[in-house]
Parts: sequence; C-alpha cells; structure tokens
Amino acid sequence: MNNIMEVENLHFSYDGKREILKGLDLQVKKGEILAIVGLSGEGKTTLLNCLCGIIPKIYKGELSGKIKILGQDISEMKLSQISSKIGIVFQDPDSQLFSPTVEDEIAFGPENLCIHREEIGRRIEKSLKLVQMESYRYENPNNLSGGQKQLIAIASVLSMDGEILLLDEALSQLDQMGKKHMESILLNLKSQDKTVITVEHDLENLQIADRILELRDGKLSEFKGW
Amino acid sequence: MKMEENKIDPRTKLIIVLCISFLAIIVRDLVSLFQLLILTLILSIFFGKNFKSSFLKFKSFLYIIFAIAILQSLFSNQGTAVFSIGKFTLITDYGLKRGLEFILRMMIVAFSANILATSSSREIIQGFVQMGMPYELAFMVATGIRFLPIMRDEIRDSVIAIQLRGIDLDKIPIRERINIYSYIFMPIVLGSISKAEKLAISIEMRGFRAYDSRTSYNQLSMSKLDYILISIITVFTTVFLILYLY
Repeated sequence: MNNIMEVENLHFSYDGKREILKGLDLQVKKGEILAIVGLSGEGKTTLLNCLCGIIPKIYKGELSGKIKILGQDISEMKLSQISSKIGIVFQDPDSQLFSPTVEDEIAFGPENLCIHREEIGRRIEKSLKLVQMESYRYENPNNLSGGQKQLIAIASVLSMDGEILLLDEALSQLDQMGKKHMESILLNLKSQDKTVITVEHDLENLQIADRILELRDGKLSEFKGW
Repeated sequence: MKMEENKIDPRTKLIIVLCISFLAIIVRDLVSLFQLLILTLILSIFFGKNFKSSFLKFKSFLYIIFAIAILQSLFSNQGTAVFSIGKFTLITDYGLKRGLEFILRMMIVAFSANILATSSSREIIQGFVQMGMPYELAFMVATGIRFLPIMRDEIRDSVIAIQLRGIDLDKIPIRERINIYSYIFMPIVLGSISKAEKLAISIEMRGFRAYDSRTSYNQLSMSKLDYILISIITVFTTVFLILYLY
C-alpha cells in the first residue's frame, strides 16, 4: 500500500513560545484506519487541524515541516482544494450543521465543488445509505438526536468523496449502539479504500483501528497502553 | 383553500410580500390599511400559515408597536383634543389615527413577511440566487437568521440557570435585574462568536467558495400558478394604487 499522507518534522506553536507539536513524523497508508490517542491538552485536535490545513490557513501560529497528501504539499493548496481530498468531522455536530434539511446539508459540499446535479443526487443517496439515515432525508437536522446529527455530519463529509476522513472525537456523542454502527461505517469506508484518521481518548472506540499511535510531548509513538 | 407547502415558488411569495409591503407604506388611510390587512391575513391562510401561531409570534412585538403608536399619538399636536390635562393636550384624534395607522402598517408588514416563512431557508436562498443575488450574500443572511433562535435559546437557558440558583428575576428591583442580565450577556456573546467561528470552519472545509460559481441540487421552476399569482398581485397593486391616488 502507498502512503496517502506524509508528515515530516512538523513543529507548531500557537504563540511562538510553547511548542505543541515538536518534530512530529507520520506516514498513513491508503485504506488504513489510524487512531491517535493522547491525554487532554497534548495537541490531538491541533494535529488534525494541521493535517487538513485549518492550521495555518484559519488558525494562525508558527508552523514548520511538511505535510503531503498524495504527494502534494498542502501549504501550496487552497483550503477548498484540500477539502475535496480531506473531510473532517468535529466533536460537536451542532456547529457543523446549518441547512434546513438533511438533504440540503449533504448536498452543500458537492454543490460547492460544482458537481453535476444528477451526481449530487447519487451521492446523497449513497451517503445516507452508508450511515443508514435514508428515512431522515427531508428532516430538519435540528430535530435529530446528538448521535443522529453526528451521522449526518459524517454523511455530509462523505458526499464530497474525499480520500481521507478525519474524525475529531466524533464518536464521543454516540451511545454503544451508535458506536457499533459507526465501526461498521468505518470498516465499510476501509473496504472502499478510504483512509480514516481518528483522534480518540476513549480506548473502547479503537478496536477496529489498524494502528494506534500515541501523541505525547508533541511526538507520535506506538501506543503501548496507559 | 389551503395551498400545500412548497408548491408555490418562493420568488412568487417574495413578489407578493414586496407588493403588499409597498402598498402598506404608501397608503395613509385607515380603511385602505384595514383592507390590506384583511387581504394579508387571507393570503397567509391561503399559503398554509397557521393564523394562531403567527399571531402568537407577533404578540411579543405588539407591546413595542403599541408603545411607539402611543408616543406617535402624544407627539402629534394636529387635530381635535381627545384627552388633555388642563390646557395641555395629550392626545388628539389625528394622533390616534396616526398611531392606529402605524399599528396596522406594522401588522401588514409582519404578517405578509410571514408568508415567506412557508418556504424553507434553502428555497428562499435559491430564490434569491435565481433572481441574481450572489449566493454568498443570500447564504450569509439565511444562516444568520437560522441561528437567531439558537441564540434566543442560549439566553433563555442562562436566565433559567440563574433562576435555579435562587434568584427570582420578577421580584428583584429593575436595577439589579439589569445587572444580572449584564452578567449573562458576555458569556452569550463569546459563546456565539465561538459557535460562528466553528461554523465558518465547517463551511470552509466543505468547499465553500471553492469556485466562482456552484451547482445547485435543488432548482426552482415557476409553474403556471406562479405566473397567474404574480399577474394578479401586480394588477391588484397597480389598480389599488391608482384608485387610492386618484
């Protein structure tokens, strides 16, 4: 398997004084489910933000090192270009959903990427089927439960058909059944050769990961348990 | 007759609302304004709007409208005195008429705007975009409006949290009450800014403004009924205006 993402000697500091990431290296293979664990405040979310370009394109700070997606340096890409390759789902689904219906929510990304209408229709159906939320297509996302909202947030990102899916503790709002459901969704994505990088602090959610790395002192190392 | 929701193009609704609001601003006599209000209410019901819920929503603004109407009445010194203290005339018949006109006008504008609410915000955005408005602008306005109820809920939750700590806001002096509201104001504003920031990141990460144009999954198309309704409202506005002015 080829590396879909490569991170070399990544350093980052928000204020130029305290370094959060200290020379971090990472290689992620295509079709891999990678889990990153770490204690609160170790910089897991910061790392994800760096991987998808939110840092430094939106959140500023001192960043050095290289991040490549499919061989292309993301510092040379616009955020919109990155978004067609990487999708990110955050912990709080309320700050990710803004459309009046689930259908509109899922169509939003492909519409921005100028995808043809018929193809958008197919993607809506496919994404909803994948998260098993077909019957909620015309619902208002506001009326859904936290777990259902999270599934819709994932479907909205999946409809953009990116290569890599980043999950920032996205399973934390789900109950046991929801987590099992999510595991099957991630395995399904893996079977489609999609790459998943998930950041977690709950070890229970990591059973399906191919590899678990621990972020400690600004560097990644193999997770050997706490 | 009740129309099924979404059957009528939001652009048609927008034209109807603009025509009625335009007439409400131009017209300056009570009978005509009352006729317009009746027409607006009939149209609201025609578009499937629940009259009771619309009125309940409007009720919270009624106090402000009445207060403005009374002020307007107090500051109009033309006409015959209706209520005076000594030699000082407080309310005149002209002032009362102006106040009542203001109330009717506001009711017409509010109830007609309510017709637009029978379409989803996405349909309204699409309507504006297909009328030539830049998507970013339409999207920004609709998203802002959509988050107003969320902000209202946050204010309500903060007030409840304060009340659960044993402060009965209805029983404390107004000065202290203002103080308490000032305490909750800052966290609410900061929370809203943080929410807006997260939302903006989500939007950016889903390719917003990736290209100069964008496709749209939902496309609006006007039916024969839309053209008929637009023709009727245009003719009605013109005739009403001619009859009123001449």
